[in-house]
Amino acid sequence: MTVSIQLEVNGKPVQAAVEPRRLLVHFLREDLGLTGANIGCETSLCGACTVLVDGNAVKSCTMLAAQADGASVTTIEGLSQNGELHPLQEGFWEKHGLQCGYCTPGMILSANYLLAQNPSPNDEEIREGLKGNICRCTGYHNIVEAVKYAAERMS
Amino acid sequence: MTAIGTPTKLLEGAPKVKGSLRFCGDLDRPGLLHARLVTSPHAHAEVLSIDTAAAEAMPGVAAVITAADLPALPPSNRATLLLARERAIFVGHPVALVLAENEAVAADAADAVAVDYQPLDAIVTIEQAEAPDAQAVWPDGLPGQSEEAAAHGAGDVSEGEEAVASSPNVTNRMRFERGDLERGYAEADAVVERVFRTASVHQSYIEPHASLIDPDPMGNGMTVYCSTQAPFFIRDAIAGVLGMPQDQVRVIGTPVGGGFGAKFVLYEPLLALAAVQHQRPVRLVMTRTEEMLAATPAPSTRITIRAGAKRSGELTALEADLAIDCGCFPSSMTALAGTLLGSSYQTPNQAVGGFEVTTNKPSVGAYRAPLAPQAAFVVETVLDQLARELDLDPVEFRLQNASEKGTPMASGMPWAGMGQRQVLEALRDHPAWQNREQARAEGRGVGIALGAWPGGTEPASAACALQTDGTLKVHISTADINGTNTSMALMAAEAFGLDPDKVTIATGDTSSGPYAGASGGSKTIYTVGPPVIQAAREARQQTLELAAQTFEADPEDLEIVDGAVQVKGSPDKAIPLKKIAQRTMRFGGRQAPVFGHGRHAQTSQAPGFCAQLAEVRVDRETGRVDVDRVVVIQDCGRAINPAAVEGQMMGGALQGIGWALYEEMAYSEDGQLLTATLNDYALPHSAQSPTELETVLVEVPSDHGPFGARGVGEPPVVPTAAAVANAIADACGARPTELPMTPPRVLQALNGGQ
Repeated sequence: MTVSIQLEVNGKPVQAAVEPRRLLVHFLREDLGLTGANIGCETSLCGACTVLVDGNAVKSCTMLAAQADGASVTTIEGLSQNGELHPLQEGFWEKHGLQCGYCTPGMILSANYLLAQNPSPNDEEIREGLKGNICRCTGYHNIVEAVKYAAERMS
Repeated sequence: MTAIGTPTKLLEGAPKVKGSLRFCGDLDRPGLLHARLVTSPHAHAEVLSIDTAAAEAMPGVAAVITAADLPALPPSNRATLLLARERAIFVGHPVALVLAENEAVAADAADAVAVDYQPLDAIVTIEQAEAPDAQAVWPDGLPGQSEEAAAHGAGDVSEGEEAVASSPNVTNRMRFERGDLERGYAEADAVVERVFRTASVHQSYIEPHASLIDPDPMGNGMTVYCSTQAPFFIRDAIAGVLGMPQDQVRVIGTPVGGGFGAKFVLYEPLLALAAVQHQRPVRLVMTRTEEMLAATPAPSTRITIRAGAKRSGELTALEADLAIDCGCFPSSMTALAGTLLGSSYQTPNQAVGGFEVTTNKPSVGAYRAPLAPQAAFVVETVLDQLARELDLDPVEFRLQNASEKGTPMASGMPWAGMGQRQVLEALRDHPAWQNREQARAEGRGVGIALGAWPGGTEPASAACALQTDGTLKVHISTADINGTNTSMALMAAEAFGLDPDKVTIATGDTSSGPYAGASGGSKTIYTVGPPVIQAAREARQQTLELAAQTFEADPEDLEIVDGAVQVKGSPDKAIPLKKIAQRTMRFGGRQAPVFGHGRHAQTSQAPGFCAQLAEVRVDRETGRVDVDRVVVIQDCGRAINPAAVEGQMMGGALQGIGWALYEEMAYSEDGQLLTATLNDYALPHSAQSPTELETVLVEVPSDHGPFGARGVGEPPVVPTAAAVANAIADACGARPTELPMTPPRVLQALNGGQ
């Protein structure tokens, strides 16, 4: 049995028939080849699979693909415009806000949601806003710097 | 010098921020089979029968493999344990492997495999394991020991070997002794004696173990894609288990999404057997729960320590006994642990030693400076207590007894040149220490601690080739752990004399690339850097000689400036590097290509020291501890890429806070892991990272490191838990003796218990 869904992914229309139990993250990674969203825990705790669904940061391992019917999804692959890095992508690279890079796509999309809600957050607000995304490499300090870098450029 | 010491962005940063980097779990192959493990729910059980019929009948299931399908190897480590035969010996021990057309079917089929177990009594704690009449985890004798400890800088394991084990589970007993302990205690004005415990913790790389085995369709071996710190270890392990020539196993390391010591060899030989049997590519990406249950966490320990000092500040005696719970296989880490416990400070009377016990738990692996955070927690908190009891300044007390180059380590071996004194002096002079009364007045406790990592050694080789576009290509085969490739490019640029942007790194596989050891033990830059520099210098010399023919000049009179060779001081007639390279790579060309090679064996260690200061707040009602500030002061020898060095220092310190306050692999009495998801296993999140996380780089050049560099990855995790413990004591007087220092443990210590 499959469910028919229509949605927009990174600005492009997508139509698919998916198993009802298919998770959004598997749909994105395996059916659409968008492997930027990583799987780290399967239980919505690490945040590596975070994507934007209608502008909200969503952990795509705990949402069914069927639930995304009619939605607009943005993954890390859809963040840069016209070949230019998004200020957050630039910031994470520039400020050494990444090391192994596994949490980075999810971290950037959570930060993107944070900046949409609060365009000029202070350090504490950034730390609170990114609590749902675990980074094991950096100690978070440079991630905070990266988000501030982007906030400045986006304002 | 221009390249070395310049903070430089990661070479591979763009694909990482764009999400286009391909991790192993992103790879696909035509006909790929997805593997899923069926694991034991019991810590110890007899496997009575395995019924695979229902699983095999499911559409999309290619095979269900059990031990009956595999060679019966005597297991000596996790790589050769394969699948459980008669007995499962830990919760998570794989008993079957499902191969299916997709992940979902593989998971369904794994659930449908019916295993009939007869649960048996399990050995779960150190106390159970060491009891003289204990049940043996290995009734037919303990299996062989792993090579991993050697990779992490352990000394000669056989040294100090003595005493016959009293329990069948006790192994790798050792002891380093010198002087007369009783005399040392008699001379002391204060003696502190305590028993410490540290929990098993998990490395918790966010990318789970992943590997893809692609068998050669002609039957000649396989290509292995693997997220590993040690491609050559994977090759050797697979070739060994399958009994095939090493050259038939070509291992391509994929980007490592965090390893921290855990990504050496695990299930790759099992997967290789499955792939070859079924002549289909097989991929296993572990789940987080499998990672928690069936990977290789860091060991739990019990450490008894007794130390004495005079009022003058002289350390007179140190005795430490350590028991390591190494899970189901010995880990050969006791000599390393003894070194870590008894080498940072000099005392004439000392005995440090310990043993390992095997238990019915997953065998342990390396985790960033294995055993060092535990050793520092014990030694540094006891020194702190002695300083308080004797009214000594804790920094001066450490400085007074500090080791230095040439003084003996616990084993008697002399220390190599190191910056222990320098990091302590930098700590003493730091404003955070100088102004500690202000922090105290604001309700925070201030603690300090020192951490050491002896450093690893290994031979390595590299090559450098000048390309027709004027860039320099560096050939190495190291797993790039968080920016090591970027530092290699900086070193090559410096040695050759061109802009780092003009250097590219080609990472070879185990069939095509020059040898390098595992990226572990803080030795990647230290061991691979020298051959890279040697290769780049040789390439430079060859380039100058080629240009000299054109200039009809002596190579000595030439220089490389802005990507071109010129007679010194004469830029008008410069020949671009690309032109030189193009002449060497064309039909009918008459000049040999530029190809420098480097080979080097680092045989002496470059110890790394890190001093830290922590400021904490303790809630006396709840026992909750918040870390507001950590200052990380580290001797990195020479910072090749300061941005990467600081990244290691900050990341290490936060992992240290995980050790200190949050992380614990908790087991029930019957060996069930109680923290099998990230909901129960608490990794530090962004709001738990100190708002002030400061780094101070100290540069005491190492004797043999590239440009004086030392390993930097491991030292910063070592002293954090001790610094936090000392800050807790400073804040409220409580001295918890168990890691992690959770609120109940802090409260208990506050109320006088331990």
